[in-house]
Amino acid sequence: MIKETMTSKERVEAAIKLEPYDRVPVAPLMDVMFPSRHKGMTVAYGISHWRDGFQAIVDIFDEVGGWDAMILPGYSLALTPKVASGVMASMGTRGYKFPGQDAAVSENSQPQYEERERLTVDDYDEIIKHGWSGFAERNRERYTSFPPEQIIAWAKKQTEHYAREGETWAQKGVPSLCGAIVESPLMFLSTKRSLTSFTMDLHRIPDKVEAVMDAMVDEFITDTIEAARLTGIPGVMLVLERGGCFYYPLKIFERFEFPYMKKMIEAFAAEGLITVMHFDQDWTLNLPYLKELPAKMCVCELDSTTDIFKAKEILKGHMCIVGDVPASLPAIGTPEDMEAYCKKLIDVVGDGGGFILSSGCTIPADAKFENFKTMIDTAKNYLPAR
Amino acid sequence: MSELAEAIAELNEDEAKRLVREKIDTGVEPMSIVDECRQGMDIVGERYKSKDYFLSELIVSGEIFKEAMAVVEPLLKAGEQADCMSKMVLGTVKGDIHNIGKDIAGTLLTAAGFEVYDLGIDVAPGVFIDKLVETGAPILGMSGLLTPSFESMKETVKAVEAAGLRDKVKIIVGGGIVTEQVGKYVGADAFTSDGPEGVEICKKFAGRQSK
Repeated sequence: MIKETMTSKERVEAAIKLEPYDRVPVAPLMDVMFPSRHKGMTVAYGISHWRDGFQAIVDIFDEVGGWDAMILPGYSLALTPKVASGVMASMGTRGYKFPGQDAAVSENSQPQYEERERLTVDDYDEIIKHGWSGFAERNRERYTSFPPEQIIAWAKKQTEHYAREGETWAQKGVPSLCGAIVESPLMFLSTKRSLTSFTMDLHRIPDKVEAVMDAMVDEFITDTIEAARLTGIPGVMLVLERGGCFYYPLKIFERFEFPYMKKMIEAFAAEGLITVMHFDQDWTLNLPYLKELPAKMCVCELDSTTDIFKAKEILKGHMCIVGDVPASLPAIGTPEDMEAYCKKLIDVVGDGGGFILSSGCTIPADAKFENFKTMIDTAKNYLPAR
Repeated sequence: MSELAEAIAELNEDEAKRLVREKIDTGVEPMSIVDECRQGMDIVGERYKSKDYFLSELIVSGEIFKEAMAVVEPLLKAGEQADCMSKMVLGTVKGDIHNIGKDIAGTLLTAAGFEVYDLGIDVAPGVFIDKLVETGAPILGMSGLLTPSFESMKETVKAVEAAGLRDKVKIIVGGGIVTEQVGKYVGADAFTSDGPEGVEICKKFAGRQSK
């Protein structure tokens, strides 16, 4: 074991601020799935029983001797007490098929996103005219059967849970990085229109799509800042998948994704909030643009499909990189495979600091415990030669 | 390159629609229209390979191609089919309901001349086997986005073996997190996380190289 001279909080803050640390911090993106299975519960049970599910995360943390940070503190939602926030959350959760609730999604599967249209092209005009909140309030009954007062009560409860999860980790000396979660307007619209329909919208009616984004982004910003204030955790996860080079050419990214990302991250930074950019899929060609974002106020979290080594070359000295153990490794790899990959990450991406070892997206439900523990242990034990 | 092929390659939806209608109205053989559309899709695939196009262009061109086929296919004479590259069975494996990658692959394979039997999502091993037996398809494509799909892929490969089809059927697995390690783990002949690359692999399986 490397002789530790910093607390987890100091180590993680040093990584984000690109300052020296005693060893590479490790912070898996951990939700309830893998811990539930490891503790003998089904994923379905863990998801639907907040107390037991969250305790399973805490238990697995203790079993491996702990790690340095929670990227998200648990699996509750951080919401403002508004109808529009509840509607947005409902649109998101209703997009998923949850384990045990559908024949195709077993009790031990992770929730699976069902790609279908939840917004129509006609909805664009209403969003442009009334803004996101106006649209959500006027169309509430399309997305939830609950009346406004129940939606607000539910949103408050979710946020209380979220804050309590964060407080639990804080008491263990483990910082949580994200006090709220938000999608970019492109991500939001793509998932709610469906990838194919949204891509055709960009092709057929680009000006209207841009107008919708303009009508939404300021509310996304103010709501997210408010949610982070309510949970008391000074950071934001910005969920990004659909706007990168895996899907779109740079001309689309430059017009429909990056300006909004930048506006959001700059606004969060002005409030002292660190943004964890949660990149799913390949964003390698987009990486140079990230140097325009506020230095040391955002974090680039990768899932193994973006070239993390290229990211290090480009972003070194500008922002911390988090990642990127491929999901297949904990699931079907061996401890030796895991150790070798983590060492490579520590050697190359950890060189000179600014790196947090993590899973590429969440630890999968069918991860093997010994592989997961190897990831944690390698960060604690492996000191690179230079 | 024909005007129609160019319109598809340039993602000019309105022009492609107009040209298809014009060709039908002027008595052009429907099969010839199909061939022109496929030529356009081939160019899209080439531009994707050279990184001039991205997934979005595959999606847009695929939608234009499907719109054209919806008009032209009913006009094909009974029994008339485009030169079939090969039959192929395709689906997202048991326990996985993700369809984006599978659908894009299906469109690209169809445009490349494959006769695709798309079984949809959450497809059990036995359903794949039944369709392979029914159609005699020599290629099986399985898609999955989640790690548990690896076990379903593996079970399906074993079912293909148990059915005595393994030496007759080439198997390719695909998906966003499918790696070489996954391909080996499940016992597939090939793997990909890239639609056009998957089409090229299937062409090789069918004994046809890309033009």
